[in-house]
Amino acid sequence: MSQVAFQVSKEQVLEITQEVFTAMLDQGETLTFERFEPVPDFADPLFAWVEMHADSEFGAFTGRAVVKTETETAHEITRSLLMLAPDEEVTEADLTDAFGEIANVVGGNVKALIDAVARLTLPQVGATPPVEENAMFLQELAIDWRGRVLVVSLWVLL
Amino acid sequence: MFVLVADDSRVMRQIVIRTLRQAGYDDWEIIEANDGQEAYEMALDHQPDLILSDWNMPRATGIEALQALRQAGCDIPFGFVTSEGSPEMREQAEAAGALFLIAKPFTADSFREALDPVLA
Repeated sequence: MSQVAFQVSKEQVLEITQEVFTAMLDQGETLTFERFEPVPDFADPLFAWVEMHADSEFGAFTGRAVVKTETETAHEITRSLLMLAPDEEVTEADLTDAFGEIANVVGGNVKALIDAVARLTLPQVGATPPVEENAMFLQELAIDWRGRVLVVSLWVLL
Repeated sequence: MFVLVADDSRVMRQIVIRTLRQAGYDDWEIIEANDGQEAYEMALDHQPDLILSDWNMPRATGIEALQALRQAGCDIPFGFVTSEGSPEMREQAEAAGALFLIAKPFTADSFREALDPVLA
């Protein structure tokens, strides 16, 4: 079954997330760490996700990688990626593009761990999570980054 | 050097261009394409010295753009900059004629390691 082919550990998710943030956002400095405290409720959440359609020896399946955070944190990510000044405006297009790209790079690296040939979708970004109906939760990792909280989760669509 | 950077993400194109500057290629002239179809058309129209392309893009993927260029008899050096760096993707890229594949997330060092041998 699909779970057999799509086994990614929390440590692997942490390693990927740290690598993405360190290289893309923090100029080589590691500022992302696993969060052990409870994740606070997000008042104004933003979700970015990609899906990977795979053909494995156990059958075809679709995996999904989701990054969730406060919209304000997604703004901060966008500012960092574009090297914007603190008072420069973050447009909606840049926010969607930048936060989607984080999910894209995290998802692309997760896909490389799958024991199957897979095809990655383009990233999607929204204020509500992707449909969770028929989605089986696999893995979740809470991250602290510069005093902010993000959650990376992996799913298999049934 | 005259280089075409193709990525459907404007943010990522900006990061690629910034990283090229950081890697020391700061005198390169760069043009940008939004997707694989545009990369194909701009490559034929502008004849850049090098194409750096994302893989997963709307309208046409990077690999489709590369295959179409080769079919059109265009042999401009082509490298991928993509979040998908699995061995299968690298094999597929190489088989289609790509010179290298830089996996995202990348650093200025990753660019130098991939580009210096091509430029030598």
